[in-house]
Amino acid sequence: MSIEHRLSSGRITVWLFTALIVAFAALATRCLYLQYFGNEYYSDLSARQQQTVATISPQRGAILDCRGRVLAASEEIQTVFVEPRVLDDPKETSSELADVLDIGAHNICSIITDSENPGFVKIKVGVDANQAIAARKIHGVGIQSDWERHYPMGPLTTHIVGFTSADNRGLEGVELAYNKDLAGSAGRNIFIADAFRRPIRLREHDADVTDGVGIILTIDATIQQFVREALLEQYKNYRAESAIAVVAEPKTGAILAMVSLPDYDPANFNTADANSLRNRVITDQFEPGSLIKPMVMGGAVEDGIVSLKEKIFCENGNYCGKGFGCISEYKNGFGYLTPREILVNSSNIGMAKVGQKMGKEEVYQSLRNFGFGKETGIDLPGEVPGLLWPPAKWTGYSVTRIPFGQEVTVTAIQLVRAFCILANGGHPVNMHVVKAVVDNEGNIVKMTQAPPPLAYCIDPEVAKWLVTDAMVGVVNEGTGKKAKLKKWQVFGKSGTANIAKTGERGYAEHQYIASFVAGAPVEDPQVIVLVSVRRPDMSLGKGYTGGAISAPVAAKIIEKTLTYLENSRPDSQKGHLAASNPQAR
Amino acid sequence: MSFLCGLSGLCGENLGSAMAEMATTLVEMDDKEGLGWRIGAVVITLMAIGTIFVFSAGVEVAKGVNLSRFYESANLRKALFFPLAVAVMLVVSRIDYRRLGFDNGLWRSPMTYLFGISVILLALVLVPHIGSQINQARRWLRIPLGFATISFQPSELAKWAVIFSLSAFCVKYGDRLKSFKKGFLPVCMALGLVVGLIIIEDFGSAALIALLAFFILLIGGANWRYLVAPLPVAAIGFAAAILASPTRRMRILAFLHPDQWTGSSNYQASQSLIAIGSGGFFGKGLGMGVCKYGHLPEDTTDFIFSIIGEEMGLVGTLTVIALFILFIVLGVMVINRCKEPFGKLLATSIVLAIGVQAALNIGVVTVVLPTKGLPLPFVSAGGTSMLLSAAAIGVLLNIASQCGKTRAGEER
Repeated sequence: MSIEHRLSSGRITVWLFTALIVAFAALATRCLYLQYFGNEYYSDLSARQQQTVATISPQRGAILDCRGRVLAASEEIQTVFVEPRVLDDPKETSSELADVLDIGAHNICSIITDSENPGFVKIKVGVDANQAIAARKIHGVGIQSDWERHYPMGPLTTHIVGFTSADNRGLEGVELAYNKDLAGSAGRNIFIADAFRRPIRLREHDADVTDGVGIILTIDATIQQFVREALLEQYKNYRAESAIAVVAEPKTGAILAMVSLPDYDPANFNTADANSLRNRVITDQFEPGSLIKPMVMGGAVEDGIVSLKEKIFCENGNYCGKGFGCISEYKNGFGYLTPREILVNSSNIGMAKVGQKMGKEEVYQSLRNFGFGKETGIDLPGEVPGLLWPPAKWTGYSVTRIPFGQEVTVTAIQLVRAFCILANGGHPVNMHVVKAVVDNEGNIVKMTQAPPPLAYCIDPEVAKWLVTDAMVGVVNEGTGKKAKLKKWQVFGKSGTANIAKTGERGYAEHQYIASFVAGAPVEDPQVIVLVSVRRPDMSLGKGYTGGAISAPVAAKIIEKTLTYLENSRPDSQKGHLAASNPQAR
Repeated sequence: MSFLCGLSGLCGENLGSAMAEMATTLVEMDDKEGLGWRIGAVVITLMAIGTIFVFSAGVEVAKGVNLSRFYESANLRKALFFPLAVAVMLVVSRIDYRRLGFDNGLWRSPMTYLFGISVILLALVLVPHIGSQINQARRWLRIPLGFATISFQPSELAKWAVIFSLSAFCVKYGDRLKSFKKGFLPVCMALGLVVGLIIIEDFGSAALIALLAFFILLIGGANWRYLVAPLPVAAIGFAAAILASPTRRMRILAFLHPDQWTGSSNYQASQSLIAIGSGGFFGKGLGMGVCKYGHLPEDTTDFIFSIIGEEMGLVGTLTVIALFILFIVLGVMVINRCKEPFGKLLATSIVLAIGVQAALNIGVVTVVLPTKGLPLPFVSAGGTSMLLSAAAIGVLLNIASQCGKTRAGEER
């Protein structure tokens, strides 16, 4: 039988089964290739698609004032959410949730069914712990924990504290500058995930959650409060464009108060007027006008270019010359004036002549010594350096204009520092708003300010002369009479600066920045106060000079601050502060 | 396949004599070579591996265990079918395989009826309200049965019906095959009917059946000229079937460009490679696989091999491949020792069917071949396939024991 013959010879069968076994051997080789040599490649691919990272967000650190009052803090809020895709019957889930959350079942159901996201629908933000526990037990319902930032003082310290984004990143102020410390670090768990990226099991515990540390500011909310009140009153009275005030400790550079108007409520920063957002104390540069005179005069006296007894002819109010045009005084012209009288009367021509005597390099150097043209390095974001051209770029005008504060721009914080240096006997000071960083147990993690270098920005004798003689004269008999106080001897300097036109040469008419910087008490200066009002409304006819507008505000602030500090500081600390006078070192 | 013996009884003289014959075959069982139990052991080992990995792959995190609905879950169903399949294998191995042949004439063999039933079921499954769709393919008949709905895949039955009846036909009417008109053409028409009905919804099974039929005819003595002649026609048919379906076209295209469409057409293939490749040498550990969590579709059925590769690594995949090679070697030993033509051809067909299907499946999951829906014999979840394969192995075991007896008889 042929069939039997063919079958028993079985050549085809042999070939077929040989081929089949060879095929299996080939498949085994393929497996070897995939699993032994391709393992790394495919493991990488699988890790990429099969992992999901769950983060545990840390509590953001609090920001406190120097007396421990809360300026910013984070609170945990629980959000109830539903994952619609896992629900068998949204109606049933809704009615179960309704009992827990006190929301109508119908409302919940429509929220769920209207959702376009099958994985996540927010039902209620901010439920209490009991509600959260009860809601979590319902199938398809989850609880999400978020942190919400609060600013209990509202707009009071907003330009210093700043604000955070919805995802708790610092966007402004100390919130931004110290974001790393405040933010803490998130806990991270890596999960094996299914195709819907739902976690199956823990693969790796990557990082522990660490809450952010607290920040203690040098700001005193009480001082801040009455500084703002006083400034706001004047700001409104004069219908000014903006106004700023700073209170600083001359010995340490600590900022006790810093107000910039207009301001905003950090809770609603996203609807705030863009004009109100910036901290003008550090972000706005302007021509300082007369406020810069003590620093230039200090340089001239220190280098012996002018002597204290010398009389300088002030050209009776009209000084013209080749190469520098004409210079006039604010009001009346003067005859012969001593350096003290030049400052007390704020003579422009006197300063121009001093500048000419000093020459470019000396004028430039005297201003550099006080740090003009460079950021102060204050621990707030957005500081600008101001503009002080190097002498090589100076024109014939420069050397006569810069000494009375034109052709140079500065920031308010630079001015505050310059006066702090004078009040601190010529020693440098570091301006700062953060006193210390503290961990969650209240231990100080780091003091932010290293003591300033043992150096002089100006000869202590000259600094003393400027403070106790020239600037006391300004208050007692010169342009700053409105800053006079009965209880304390105040020293200060007025400044009424023109506002340069934007985009063209020259100055805008009848637009001024009225400033006054003052300090007290003169024997042992405790505070330096700067008040500056930009573009007061001239049509009101109430005046526009620094001496008229800002000096009284500065006086009010000094009076209240010193009274407050005297009443609140323990006696022992008063003595301690007196002993820490750097000149005693 | 257990119902086949009942069927044979009805078609034969009467139930009583059938039972008597079965009793005599039981007495005659003799397997001195021990081939039978070795094949049985290999098959049961594969089934056990399958049960373990289907159980692992079938895990669902979202749902708890609901025993009253156990039949809906692939892993519990596999656990039920494993002992059932072993029982079927043992019962069928006690039935004389010769009763399946055409010795008593075409109309007295159960195979004729099995073939007929297959064709009817294949036609039924295409009727929209009777056949049910799973994964966009209408391949299943759902039979409500009290506690559970049993899904039955007629193409599985048709595959074995074709293999068995074609083997029987070749042995009994081999001479006719030499004639084109009297033998070859009718056989080809019957085959074309079955393959044609299947190819509409299930390209993979149709191709497998056509391939197996081609091999059986080749071995069974058909004139190879006749066999080669319709190949171009068959090729055009399959090409047309591929071109007619956008899904199949895309599968071929995706196969040719494995790096593209990994999110769509090549998703399954690329996920399969990730599963196997990430397993490494020793695997991620039993139950520790990740691809089964929705990443790899059809993880309990056609792609179970990938899960084995992921969880047991190269050790696991080589073990499974080695078991199939062992099965083929043992099968070839049975074929060699069997002198009786029908037994020899039938054993060849059964071993070929299992071996080819396993090779195709592993080829698909290791992306050596384009994706098509073929389960891995014994291992994949799927009751129809498992029970019918077990029955086929039962027949193979019976052939093994009969051949042993014949040899023993010759020695006497």
